[in-house]
This record gives sequence, structure tokens and C-alpha cells, in this order.
Amino acid sequence: MPPSNSLPPKENALFKRILRCYEHKQYKNGLKFAKQILSNPKFAEHGETLAMKGLTLNCLGRKEEAYDYVRRGLRNDLKSPVCWHVYGLLQRSDKKYDEAIKCYRNALKWEKENIQILRDLSLLQIQMRDLEGYKDTRYQLFMLRPTQRASWIGFAMSYHLLGDYEMANSILDAFRTNQMKGPYDYEHSELLLYQNMVLAESGQYERALQHLQKFQSQILDKLSVKETSGEYYLKLKRFKEAEGVYEDLLKRNPENVMYYHKLIEAKQLSDADEKVAFFDVYKKEFPKAIAPRRLQLTEAQAQPVFERLVDQYLRQGLHKGVPPLFVDLRSLYADQSKAETIEKLILQYIENLSKSCTFSSEPDEGKQPASALLWAYYYAAQHFDYKKDTDRALHYIDAAIEHTPTLIELFIVKGRIYKHAGDPVLAYKWLEEAQSMDTADRYVNSKCARYMLRAGHVKRAEEMCAKFTREGVPATENLNEMQCMWFQTEAAATYQRLQQWGEALKKAHEVDRHFSEIMEDQFDFHSYCMRKMTLRSYVGLLRLEDVLRSHPFYFRCARVAIQVYLRLYTQPLQDIPQTTEPDTG
Amino acid sequence: MTRAKIELGDVTPHNIKQLKKLNTVVFPVSYNDKFYKDVLEAGELAKLAYYNDIVVGAVCCRIDTSDNSRRLYIMTLGCLYPYRRLGIGTLMVEHVLKYVEQDGNFDSIFLHVQVNNEGAIDFYKKFGFEIVETKEHYYKRIEPADAHVLQKTIREPQAATPLVNGSVPHAKTNGHD
Repeated sequence: MPPSNSLPPKENALFKRILRCYEHKQYKNGLKFAKQILSNPKFAEHGETLAMKGLTLNCLGRKEEAYDYVRRGLRNDLKSPVCWHVYGLLQRSDKKYDEAIKCYRNALKWEKENIQILRDLSLLQIQMRDLEGYKDTRYQLFMLRPTQRASWIGFAMSYHLLGDYEMANSILDAFRTNQMKGPYDYEHSELLLYQNMVLAESGQYERALQHLQKFQSQILDKLSVKETSGEYYLKLKRFKEAEGVYEDLLKRNPENVMYYHKLIEAKQLSDADEKVAFFDVYKKEFPKAIAPRRLQLTEAQAQPVFERLVDQYLRQGLHKGVPPLFVDLRSLYADQSKAETIEKLILQYIENLSKSCTFSSEPDEGKQPASALLWAYYYAAQHFDYKKDTDRALHYIDAAIEHTPTLIELFIVKGRIYKHAGDPVLAYKWLEEAQSMDTADRYVNSKCARYMLRAGHVKRAEEMCAKFTREGVPATENLNEMQCMWFQTEAAATYQRLQQWGEALKKAHEVDRHFSEIMEDQFDFHSYCMRKMTLRSYVGLLRLEDVLRSHPFYFRCARVAIQVYLRLYTQPLQDIPQTTEPDTG
Repeated sequence: MTRAKIELGDVTPHNIKQLKKLNTVVFPVSYNDKFYKDVLEAGELAKLAYYNDIVVGAVCCRIDTSDNSRRLYIMTLGCLYPYRRLGIGTLMVEHVLKYVEQDGNFDSIFLHVQVNNEGAIDFYKKFGFEIVETKEHYYKRIEPADAHVLQKTIREPQAATPLVNGSVPHAKTNGHD
């Protein structure tokens, strides 16, 4: 960096040492050298030294002094790119990205081709989604350093993000043919897949497919190749080929639900009976797979067919003792006749199991395990709870508890039945019971805490969570540190119901801060992903961050905050209520 | 269809409530806090029995050294009603027998059983237990209050077999090696 307000050689050498100290995080030494320059009355107001002193102080946590020195330095030397760059870095460390961008631009005014400043600027621009600005900066970096890999990738990426797929693809093509030499390693493979993604996003599936086929021997992620080519065949309506791809994929993983759906699409099956027959084939081919059996239940329409199939499915689940059997089947309840069929079967099982330990009354059926009746009760309780038939739900869960009082899941369901019936207090009492039966179970612990919050017991919920948070720190602190948002959103809502407005807002803002942090955390990936070539994931990350605040946690907390603020606006708090505790402010 | 899975597991401070629930429904007498405190220290002498991953039974023993002999006392051994006659009790008794055999230094195993509990008496007889004594008014709050003492002898007490480095011959040896 040629200083515009130059120092004599001796002081200039000292200044360079300040820079080196800054880069190597030797801040104390840096300050010493700065003092040596500034103590000379001739250079006491030397802008760049003052700015560097400020930047160093900032790294030592002395922010106010840092701003004083940096601003003073800048005032003394407004044409120095160093001073502007330093000011930008300071603002960036303070998360004032817009301000930082302005500073970098000023710095570049005085030194157009400073690579370091251009790089820093590009990071801020992508972070702020100034895509046009990003494109310009990446262009300049590309022109200045055409031999660097990152220059090409960033340049292409900037066009891709702007939706100029042709340009992005041409840059990647040129880079691949001219620059990529050497082994076909992971990075090369990822680059090809990224290029393929660009082509697909442009809607040119034919071209994307050709690209994929041409380079498939160089791509290491074989699963991606298969899955994407299947996708392209479907888009291009080349169904026969799509069929082959998804049949292969199913051999790799017969539990992948998506493959079955795509294969049905490829086979152009629309009739319910055809689909049921389709799943029959795969049930035979993969006798251990659950996916085809479960998906078949969704497709079966005719009552006798559904009954036959769901009968097998239920028996297998109850025999084995599959706790989430009801959760697994719940989506079928959208069809009322299916729900009725299931109810009929479950009640039959219960009757037969309690009489003869068999599902049916057929003589050739072997004895079922002793736990089958228990799981049938458990299912029935959830079934009737779903139907809002609280009495029958309680009847069956009590029968289950009578049968096997040591099964924790039963107490959770009992609590849930009370919750659905509108009694949050009894609900959490039963969850507490469940929790006490296995205090090493984090799931039950969390569920119990959540039920306590619903019943308005924040303190108790915190104590419950404390069994699993770090020792020696208050539970709330640790939960916040771990971004435990289910707890914080629930607590915010609880405080709101309790009309403890301040506490509610505190929790809502804690959640908001987590979301800001997730946005901030993005920053490191702008350079990291380019370096590691994980470009598909990187683009995925950018798109996720763009819609991050649509997450339900954020939505719930924002609603609490808005409602509380409106309440406080329309009915401001009057006097400070008389509290028995001293105000610790 | 698969066979049911039966296995034993440890009693820990985390799951001891399950043992309490089980004992409450299986036995007519209730056990105090000290019982459960000791159980946590008992190691292999206290086990939960799992049937398809559900706790359905438990066995709790302690070592009794009264009357100049070293005996294993089975305090509780029980199984939830729907899970009886499935081999769970047998698995627990076998565990106890194995423990005693591996220890090699027990004279006998004994337990108390209500005089009218024929099922239990027959069950223990299968494993070589015999009624050696009947205690009147053994139980305080249940009827009948009398209890049989069931015992399985591991080695005869009067046979003063010399101990060599703690290794002890099994069963009856008539004083010979």
C-alpha cells in the first residue's frame, strides 16, 4: 500500500510492522510501534497510523477508542485507501455492513486495483445480496487475477445468482476447458455438478442431461447423477428411461418414498388399483421394506382392498411392538372410511387378544406375544384421542396402564389426551410421571418441560430442562446459548398468556437474535465454500438464508412480540407495580 | 413372525421408578426407601427383566451372613401378570443361580413365600428349592400371614471343606476332594 501521506523510511518501516502485527494478531506489539511513530511530534497526526492504532484497539475490545482513532486518522487523510479500508473493517466487525460497503468503495476510489479490498467488498455485497454490485466486483477480481480458480468461480456464481444462466455456463465451460487440469477429484466432480445445476435451472433439461451423461465418468457422486438424470427424463417425458433409473435407485434404497412416487410417475399410473398392484410387486421384491407397504395403504381406495392391506400392516406393527404405529398411520385418517376400517379392526384385535392372545378368531393363527394386546390398547387410545372421544381414549389408555404399568409411552399419551381435552394441568402431571420413570430420556424430559410451559409453569419447566443443560450455569442461559428455540418460543407464549409482558418480549428477542446470528454465520461460508468447491450446497445455503425468517419459530415469536407491543401501546403500563422483591433493574 | 426378545438390564437411578411401579403391582407388600437405596448398590443382584424392550419383571437379592453362613437371599422376584409363563421368571432365577455359581462362596439361596402361593412354590421347586421352615406371622398386613422358607442348598454347612485359595468345590463332596 503506497501511503499517500508518506512517512520517512524509518517510520515507514515501523508502520509496516504495525500491519504485520495486526495480521499476526500481536496487538500489544502493534500498539507499541504505533506509539513510536505517534510520539514523534512531526507525525503525531499521521492518519494511517492513527487508523491502524484504532483498528488494533478494536481487536483488544476497546471499541470506543477504536472509533475515535480511526475517525481521527481518516479526517487527517481523506485520500488514503488505508484509512478508508480500516474504517470499513471496523464497521464490518460491528456488523454495519452497509456502512462498511461505502467505506470500501471510497477506499477503491483511491486505489482501484487493491485485491484485498475488492475481495472484502465482494463478501459484503453477497452477504447483503447486492447481486449487481457483487457481479461488478467479481468481474474486476476476475480481470485482475485471471489465473486464480476463485476468480472464475466467483465470476460465474455472480451471473448464476442474477439468473443469467447462459453467461454463468459459458464462464464455467471456459474455466473447465482452460484452467482445470489434473486429477478428476472431488472438487472437479462438484464443479461439474454445479454446472449441471446451472443448466437445469435455466430449464434446458435436454442440455443438462447431455452434460450429465458426457461427464458422468468424472463425477464421484454417483447417487446425484442417478437422481438428477431420473429427474431430467421425467421432465423430458422420456418415461421408459426414467423407469429404468428409478428401478435401479430402488435397488439401492427400497425405503426411499420419493423413488416410488417418481416410478409411478414414470409408469404413468393413475388408477388406484394399478398403484396397489404396483406396490404388490415391490412388496414381493423387497419383503423387508416398510415403504411399499405403507405407501400402498395411501393408494388403496376400495374398502375391501384397504381392509385387507391395513389388517396386515396393523398386525405386523402390533406384533412387533412399533410405538409410533399410530403416528405412522395418522395421515390415512383424512379419509373417514379408512379411519372407520381401522377402528373396526383394532377393536376386533382387542377383543380377540384379551380372549385368546390372537388377532383373529381363526384357529390356525399362532399365539401373539403378550405385548400385542398392550400395543393394541395403546393404538386405540390414540385413535379415539384423535377422534376427540376423550372418554374412550382414557378407557383404553387406562386399560393399557393396568396391563403394563411400566411402559413410559402410556403416560405420555395419557398426558396428551388431557392436553387435547383442554386440561393442561393434568396433562403436565402425567408427563411428569412419565419423566420420572426414565430420567435419562431427553425426549420425555423436553416433552414434560413443554407441557409445563403450556400449563404456565415456567420456573418448573426450567428446572426440568436443567437436568439436561450444562451444570453450573442457569438453565435459561444455557438454553439460550444452545439456541434451544422450541423452549424459547414456548416460553415467550407462556409469558404472554401470564401477562408478563417484559419477560415475553425478552424471550421473543432472544429468538430474533438467534435468527440474526444464523444470518451472520453465513458470512464465513462466502469464502469457505468457494475454496472447497461445495458450490451446490453454498447456493442452497444462500437460498435458505433468504427465506430464513419464514421459519415457524420466528413467526411465532414475531407474533408474540407484535401483540405485546400493541398491547403496551394501547394500554401503557401505569405505575410500576409494588413488588416485594427489591428492584434490581 | 419373530420370537419375543427377553433380556435382563441394570437398575439405575434413572429407571428405579419403573422397579417401584412393578413391585407395587406385583407384590402385596410395599418396600421402603432403604430397600430401593440398597438395590442401587446391588449390581448384578438387582436386575430388570425386559420383554420386547418393556420392563415386565425384576429380581432383587442381597447377601445374608447371619448364622455363620453366607447365603443369598432373594428379596423379590416377580413378573407382571400378562407376561407370566413366558420364561421370564426362569431367566431371572437362572441369573441368580449363575451368580451364585460364579461367586463360588455361597452356602445356600433362600427366600420367603406366602404359604398359599402354590404357583411360586412349584416354580422354585423346579430349580431344586425345598421348604425348610415355616414362619408364623411373618407378614404384617396380609393374609395368610405365614411364610414358608424355601431354600436351595449349594454346599453342606457341616462339611468343613478346607478352602484353598478361595476355590471351593461345588455341591456335596463328602469331605473328599
